[in-house]
Amino acid sequence: MTDRTVQRARKAWSDVAFNVWGVLVLVFLFAPILVIIVSSFNVGRLLVSWDHFGFDSFVALLAKPAIRDAVWISVQTGFIAALVATLLGTLAGIAMARHPGKWVWWFLGLLLLVSVTPEIVDAVALLPWMVFLGQDLGMSIFNDGIVRLVIGHSLFSVAVVSYLVRARLVGQEANLEEASADLYATPVRTFAKVTLPLAMPAVLSGFLLSFTLSLDNTVIAAFVSVSGSTPWPVYVLSALRSGLRPEIAAVSTIMLVLTLIALGLVAVVLRRAGDSAADIARTMGGG
Amino acid sequence: MRRRSPGFLLALPAWAWLLVFFIAPVGMVVWFSFGYKPSIFATQATDRLSFDRYAEVLDPAFFATFLNTLWVGVAGTVLCFLIGLPVAYWMAVKAPPSRRGLLVALVMVPFWTNFLVRTIGWQVILSPDGWLSSALQVIGFEPLAILNTRGAVLLGVVYNYLPLMILPLFVAFDRVNGPLREASKDLGAGKWATFFRVTLPLAQPGVIAGVLLVFIPLMGDYITATVLGGAKGNMVGQLVASQFQTAQNWALGSAMAVVLIFVILLSAAVGAGIVWLVSWPFRARNRLVIGPAATATTAPAASASIREEVGA
Repeated sequence: MTDRTVQRARKAWSDVAFNVWGVLVLVFLFAPILVIIVSSFNVGRLLVSWDHFGFDSFVALLAKPAIRDAVWISVQTGFIAALVATLLGTLAGIAMARHPGKWVWWFLGLLLLVSVTPEIVDAVALLPWMVFLGQDLGMSIFNDGIVRLVIGHSLFSVAVVSYLVRARLVGQEANLEEASADLYATPVRTFAKVTLPLAMPAVLSGFLLSFTLSLDNTVIAAFVSVSGSTPWPVYVLSALRSGLRPEIAAVSTIMLVLTLIALGLVAVVLRRAGDSAADIARTMGGG
Repeated sequence: MRRRSPGFLLALPAWAWLLVFFIAPVGMVVWFSFGYKPSIFATQATDRLSFDRYAEVLDPAFFATFLNTLWVGVAGTVLCFLIGLPVAYWMAVKAPPSRRGLLVALVMVPFWTNFLVRTIGWQVILSPDGWLSSALQVIGFEPLAILNTRGAVLLGVVYNYLPLMILPLFVAFDRVNGPLREASKDLGAGKWATFFRVTLPLAQPGVIAGVLLVFIPLMGDYITATVLGGAKGNMVGQLVASQFQTAQNWALGSAMAVVLIFVILLSAAVGAGIVWLVSWPFRARNRLVIGPAATATTAPAASASIREEVGA
């Protein structure tokens, strides 16, 4: 055997090792998700013990208003929280990219603080704060379940959208805006016709990511939610104590499909905007 | 000609929102932490301020949970790094470019699947009367007894935070991939030398990002330990939660929350410092290669001659 073939054989060996490791890790990442999907077709009393295959748990959903209400609350709060976060984050992101100054460092510091604070701290801080605003100061709007959830879920999302929009606009020169101003467009018109369309891919993906983050939020929701507006993850958390039934897996499967659609849309939007796999990874991995 | 624009005013709504719903509540928690629990029926009082609650946090029982959390945090982060590094390298360098998008998507789907639900998935897998346990018994092993232990929590957090390690590492390796590694090989560096002296040092921002992205949320984790840990796998997040929900001692719970933030920030700084120090020898040698000159157009010979000039 010549040296070259030995080298080729060795290279193939290390490549095989990488492939095996990568596939193993992917299997690891998907194992519990597959288990949940399979469990949703379990006809039995408990999710843990497999009985036999069937669609009973999906049918049972229709008969269980508690589950339906929880999912509906989650979808509503997810949508409103994403709207709020996208509005606030888009404006902030545009301001950071187009009107930089010393204040940007302070603002980025605040956003960083928001993103590194553990959710549990946000949660235990928001609970007394809502009680204070709602009961001590008498602002009854803060006693409303959906308002509380929207506020709690929006915090992290505002930071995410701000980062995304800033990152997209910083990468593009302000020439277009200057040209628009030179052509006598008013600032408002420039904003609507030039700046916003430039930022649009980041705005859209920010919206969808905020929606998904909100659907996922369990910790803050568990603390701030009031009875009567229990979101889906909090319902699951309480079911954890009383025994998980296959319906939980069924809803999770449906939600997984919805999340996949949302993620697919984000990927399509970003790809249309010309992002590479690495850009998309950076966007979705949170910066 | 540009007219004077509203400028930073655009960011004002976000400022206000975060001040009212983030800074103010967290500030109130800090304020509560200096107070006390006056009676069984009241959650906190702040008419007398002291550091007594912080002294209580050092109580051996609480301190043990803090140490346990720190252990899970450090071990979990190290494991995520060791498991995730080859995966990210595989995705960015080894896998064919056409398949990169798919691989990124595959890593992202679990990351965006409901955290609680995928942790419950592990509860099902690890359950002593689940299918994995039965399968192991068929081959002749004991039934699985990992659920409700610290081991289960460690497995759970490694699982839950692994994508947060893989994604920044992938981004970093993706950036390094190509001309620079070629150049290193042309200069006679072997595979390992190229990896340790060119690829890894250049990927360092990704390493630091990954370590922080995993460690910070992991330390504050509440769900993984609740679902998989039982009594033996307690973490600080649960302690804080139970002070607010069960014990109704908001003063002590607040002190714990403040200590948790401090521990996280301190250990994150230490961790980033360690990564920086460990990579220092590699970085010093390669400083000129990574400089702005080392773009795709840099001829290998050029960077070598620059290196000689400075005597590196």
